[in-house]
Amino acid sequence: MTTLNEMIEIIKAENPTLQVGDDEQGYTQLSAADYETQIAEWADARLTKETKAAAIIQAAADKAALLAKLGITADEAKLLPS
Amino acid sequence: MAKQTFTTGQVLTAAQMTSLQQTAMGGGSTTAKTTSYVLLAADAGTVVQMNAAGATTITVNTALFAAGDSVQIQNIGAGVCTVTAGTATVTTAGSLALSQWEGGQLYFSSTSASIFFDIVQATGMTNPLTTTGDTIYSSSGTTPARLGIGTTSQVLTVAGGIPSWATPAVSASGMTLIKRAAFSAVAGTSTTFDGVFTSTYKSYMAVVEYVEAGTYTDDLQLQLIYSGTTKAATYYGTTVYSTHVGGPTNLPSNNTAQFTMANETQMAGVVYFNKVGNTSQTAAIYGVGQNMAGYGPLWWGCAQDNAQLYTGFLLKSSSSTITGTVAVYGLATA
Repeated sequence: MTTLNEMIEIIKAENPTLQVGDDEQGYTQLSAADYETQIAEWADARLTKETKAAAIIQAAADKAALLAKLGITADEAKLLPS
Repeated sequence: MAKQTFTTGQVLTAAQMTSLQQTAMGGGSTTAKTTSYVLLAADAGTVVQMNAAGATTITVNTALFAAGDSVQIQNIGAGVCTVTAGTATVTTAGSLALSQWEGGQLYFSSTSASIFFDIVQATGMTNPLTTTGDTIYSSSGTTPARLGIGTTSQVLTVAGGIPSWATPAVSASGMTLIKRAAFSAVAGTSTTFDGVFTSTYKSYMAVVEYVEAGTYTDDLQLQLIYSGTTKAATYYGTTVYSTHVGGPTNLPSNNTAQFTMANETQMAGVVYFNKVGNTSQTAAIYGVGQNMAGYGPLWWGCAQDNAQLYTGFLLKSSSSTITGTVAVYGLATA
């Protein structure tokens, strides 16, 4: 599992600098402090999303393993009373 | 040199010839008068010059000049000098009142009638312009008047029969483009769409022509801005989305720091904003879009539950930069 610091380094490598603005106004590079804050926020968000995705995949795998142990298919499992 | 009656055999001196030459060329030496003056017969063919601080007159009488005689009249003084008909008539198309540095030729058509030809029109147009961009118009009849330059984006219009610069009226109906901006690889659009919500409109529509994140699997997020501050709390809503293989799926924002508009950021859509820009209110955000990565529709509904005078919004990705183009329109109420 990727750590927060590892994720920060990954995102920093993707974004050596960050900017705000638009084509009309022009662009302004974020200050060092704002850059660090933004990268940390993104790293946290990306880890959270990865964790959620991993949990969904794990839940699906656990369900498939349980169904296999019970000897029934996913469609047959839907017929069981809830 | 005054008008002369030459006799047979008379010899002219060089000085006389020089003086005659000056007179023939419209000049001639003179001694300026300093008080009002009555023309004499000896003034025929000469320059009569006035130089007085106060108002003066030069009077023209009959039986002094022959038809064809002329007198140049000049005023070099600050006081107005008026060519005045005494016993002779004085006709002119201009003005007989000569301001400083004005003058003309007084020409006698008979011994009792003269015509004054202005060299400088006393009533020539005074330049009313004072500032770059000024224009001239006729304010009353032919009276020139200055129209000062307007401000940026003003248009020339007519009010009360005269031209003026005016700010174009806000469209009374329909949809008005407030701002369209393209942005490339930005951390967010915080500096781009602040100030788009004002009291001019009750409803706003943002057409997201296209937005994509540096990492397309990142969420697309929206936040409101007030007084230069990004609102990072109390978003309550849901994004419902489907893909080309199924759905729908809910993507809730339950008292979150931002409204999550998509779980992938390659999308286009239309977002409406109400209860923004007018008074401190809880804002409504809603709309529809198309996920270009997941190949399915997006439906948005969100309330910003903290009342503020919201002035704008920003779009951002959950963990990478975004690139896109967004146009914001104000929707008139009538």
